[in-house]
Amino acid sequence: MNNIHSLRFFWPESVLTVAVLAMLVQDLLVRRSPRRVGLLTIGALFWLALTALATWRTPWGNFPIFGGLLVHDPLRIFFAWLFLAAALLTVVIVPRSKEISSARLGEFFALLFALLLGMYLMASAADLLLIYLSIETVSLVSYVLTGFQRGRRRANEAALKYVIYGGVASGIMLYGISILYGLFGTTRVAGEGGIGAQLADVTSRLFLAHAFGGQPAAQLALVVAVVFLLAGVGYKIAAVPFHMWSPDVYEGAPTPFTAFLSVGPKAAGFAVAIRFFFAAFERQLPGGGYAQVGDLPWPAIIGIISAISMTLGNLTAIVQSNVKRLLAYSSIAHAGYLLMGLAAASTAGVQSILIYLIIYVLMNVGAFLVVIAVSRETGGEDIKDFRGLGTRAPIAALALVIFLFSLTGIPPFAGFIGKYLIFAAVVQRGGFWNVLLAVIGVLNSAISLFYYARLIKAMYLEEAIDQRPFRVPAVYTGVLVALAVPNSFLIFYWTPLVRWAAAAFGGSPSS
Amino acid sequence: MPFQFANVLIFSATAVLFVFGSLVAGRFLRPDAPNREKSMIYECGEKPIGQAWFNFNPRFYLIALVFVIFEVEIAFMFPVAAVYKSFIERGEGLLAFFEIALFVGILAVGLAYVWAMGDLEWVKGLKQDVLAQLREKQAAPPAEKKAA
Repeated sequence: MNNIHSLRFFWPESVLTVAVLAMLVQDLLVRRSPRRVGLLTIGALFWLALTALATWRTPWGNFPIFGGLLVHDPLRIFFAWLFLAAALLTVVIVPRSKEISSARLGEFFALLFALLLGMYLMASAADLLLIYLSIETVSLVSYVLTGFQRGRRRANEAALKYVIYGGVASGIMLYGISILYGLFGTTRVAGEGGIGAQLADVTSRLFLAHAFGGQPAAQLALVVAVVFLLAGVGYKIAAVPFHMWSPDVYEGAPTPFTAFLSVGPKAAGFAVAIRFFFAAFERQLPGGGYAQVGDLPWPAIIGIISAISMTLGNLTAIVQSNVKRLLAYSSIAHAGYLLMGLAAASTAGVQSILIYLIIYVLMNVGAFLVVIAVSRETGGEDIKDFRGLGTRAPIAALALVIFLFSLTGIPPFAGFIGKYLIFAAVVQRGGFWNVLLAVIGVLNSAISLFYYARLIKAMYLEEAIDQRPFRVPAVYTGVLVALAVPNSFLIFYWTPLVRWAAAAFGGSPSS
Repeated sequence: MPFQFANVLIFSATAVLFVFGSLVAGRFLRPDAPNREKSMIYECGEKPIGQAWFNFNPRFYLIALVFVIFEVEIAFMFPVAAVYKSFIERGEGLLAFFEIALFVGILAVGLAYVWAMGDLEWVKGLKQDVLAQLREKQAAPPAEKKAA
């Protein structure tokens, strides 16, 4: 499909581009107004609503657009809604947090929309170059937002570390992309003549084998290239060998942005991973299932990364005393759980990832929101600042308990659905290694209960020095309740989630 | 097949040898007669004043950043201008014009923002919030000073 016709399916991104500019202009216009914060928030909500409308009105379909650079399919729309939800929560949270000064709120919103645009592109990129460019867009904006509080030493340190790790990761990823281009002579992942098509085509596989003096050499180059590419993706989702930035960045960034960073770009990273692996190394069967093409052991690579991420994330979280760092390691562990669904390399596995991501947005943003509410009042983010929260701010404390149990995956809460589906998908795939992976996952959930429970113990069983109750802003209480309710009651009726995930991935083969 | 890699090997070996070879050859072939004028740092023909190793004013960096953006803008617009006639011949003139206008428009918003935020001013005043912070500090001298 050529560029002009593709624009019809590019409305959400176009609206977002205008939104970035509009927020900058609005920032200039209302700079001296005393009602600046309210006006800017309304502006941001307006543009989010318009983006949502554009996303909703985009016709359903499954085909490449812009000559194969992007793919328009239900998966992309699914992720778009996920990103919109995360952005909406951030826009609602930011104005009342004390971490973003009101003078720079417009700038923050403009950058947030730029980040959202990059994530939209990540979710639909089907070309190696565009995958790289969209990841870079998201990364560059994230660096700036991490160091948003220019005067804070921690923020500057975090931003600098983020830039350095990010530079290395994207360099490695580019190297992987260049090897892939050398092997296949194209940057297209899906579609005619793309990497997937070439691997499926026996003659071109023979050509590959011959061009490199025998199958093993080509095979090795392919494995190396894919592992390098994984460095870029793993960096975005904070999976283990590429996770080093995340505790410092989570701690140094303004907390409302940390909340967004832990769900938005992570989900976008999974969108890239799912699209890349399933377009390049899997072939959809007429029945809707998938079969592997080529003999690259990618599920094994992902499985190993997953097991290490879970274990290392959970074990390191045990010794943390800063709650933001604790949640950072918990989010590394969650990247591990999510990767488990990808390692299953099946339709059910990907659908379980999608469902888990929805629930993850609900519970993780909620947990960070309580941290924001507490640090607003006590000025600290350590576990000791949470002491006596059960009497000081009962609703926030109860909400945090729900989010933490949900993150652990204890049955009455929503996190259980996600974990259950992921473990089920892995076990269903069968084989010794897959079952072992599931067992590691279950053991890790048990470990994670330990450090989540430490926080709960501090809230209810330990006494604070300052026992005065404090006020949580009404907006925060509203959002906390709105997030806690689905976390507690989703278990009774989660068919819509399953149906939605099934519509997003693994439906009928592309037309 | 492995012999194809010999091309690459010879190519890289030649590249490395050429660089070092020409430097070494030059060392022995050229006349060696340094004087004060010659060993001075070349700065557009001017006599250098002082060392080059000092802190540059960060104002240069801000202006340079804005400058680079607009230089890239020109680099993107020239090719379009060069082939614009062929766009018109294909009946896509208006489209190309609109695209490049959009591009310039986006950059113009950026310029307006930078301008209004005072980043183009060479002499910078202190921002109001910084002034307020300074006043607070003067009102209450820091505790660690007393300790010292």
